[in-house]
Amino acid sequence: MLVYILLVLVMLMPALPSPGHAADPTPQITVGTQEVGLSVGYLLPHRLTKYHKTEQQGPAFMPYWMITLTDPIGGGWYRGHVSLGAEMVYIQFQEPVLTHGVGFAPKIKYTFVALDRIRPYAEFSGGPFWTDLAGKIPEESSQFNFVLMAGFGVSYFLTDPAALNVGYRFNHISNAGTDYPNLGLNASLPYGGFSFFF
Amino acid sequence: MMGQFFSRPLISTILVMALGLGTGCSHWIELAAPIDTLPPANATVATDARVPLLLETIRMTQNGSSIAPPSILERQVLGAIEATRLFSQHYQSGYTQPMTNQARVTVRLSIDSLVEPHSGQAAWRGFLVGASMFTLSPFISLNYDYGTQMSLEMERWDGQVKHYTAISNGSAHYHLFGAHPEVIEQLKGQVTEACLSSLLNQVIQDSTFFLAGNTQPQDHPIRTVSVAVRHPSSRAIPVSRALADSSPR
Repeated sequence: MLVYILLVLVMLMPALPSPGHAADPTPQITVGTQEVGLSVGYLLPHRLTKYHKTEQQGPAFMPYWMITLTDPIGGGWYRGHVSLGAEMVYIQFQEPVLTHGVGFAPKIKYTFVALDRIRPYAEFSGGPFWTDLAGKIPEESSQFNFVLMAGFGVSYFLTDPAALNVGYRFNHISNAGTDYPNLGLNASLPYGGFSFFF
Repeated sequence: MMGQFFSRPLISTILVMALGLGTGCSHWIELAAPIDTLPPANATVATDARVPLLLETIRMTQNGSSIAPPSILERQVLGAIEATRLFSQHYQSGYTQPMTNQARVTVRLSIDSLVEPHSGQAAWRGFLVGASMFTLSPFISLNYDYGTQMSLEMERWDGQVKHYTAISNGSAHYHLFGAHPEVIEQLKGQVTEACLSSLLNQVIQDSTFFLAGNTQPQDHPIRTVSVAVRHPSSRAIPVSRALADSSPR
């Protein structure tokens, strides 16, 4: 549910009025500005029902690329821009058994620019995800799954093209009903990382 | 035999990927037909009859809000006026000024620009492209519109004033991987250039108004110069090329 609320909020932002702004804070991120970066976090499990038994956890590595779709839009505190891109997701599950997961997820992000060099953002990503953890746990049976992630974070621009990021994502892995059982794996994913803009 | 079996699908895949990537990276700029229908003007004027020009102010708004004109725009305006060769010298407010007792033409320019980046459309189309795992990127284009209206006030040394206006619009169309800040700068530059040309074309029509008629000494042969507007090379620029080719030179 949180995923859908975040997604709707992100998609509604561009519909807000966009008064002209004399001077957006620097760095000015405009249409076509690209961003590459790496996020590293740690997966912390959530067993949401009594049927969930697995406490999967481990480090996650997420290199990504994004391109800015809009100039800063809206006014006031919610002024910001929309970016689209994709990320690779690699998770090393250290619990309950040492296994791996790798995926590719298109990603959309809304970045708030009102606070100058401190820029909060909301993001959503989702895509196919392969893991050999499935089959070794009661929740998931097939190795082919999907990963959905939604969350928020904040970037701090050290220089115009470089930023440090910290954030939180809710992570969900399931096979979309393509195999049984499919209870899904849920986790929190706090992370940190850096970005370069060009 | 095996080589032939694999080569066709491989070649087809490479061709499809090259076509998709090539199309997905493309962009093109369209300028709307100019509203004024004045033919390109040119004239021959006496060199010694020309007077200096002082660019006093450039006032600029974007989507109704006042903004500081970028310095590159001031240079672009002065360069376009200078290229007409209608004036003997070109001064800019804040820099070296013409002598106070010297006949001159004072220019005040106001530029009202309108930016329509179609942000909502871009976000939704971007979402579709992302949801399709980027396979739709060659087929979904994004748009960015830019329009400008320029009003030029030219005051002669004797206080007589003439007003000119011109409007120019253009659109940049691009696919997701063709999005680049430079594309937008190109659009703005071309729209501004087209608008300036239209404006200065009107000024050239009135070229005699800005000449000092009594400064020609009788004992000198009359030297003349052709004055005309430097028109943009093309009204519509279909661009479908790598960004590296379109970088400013």
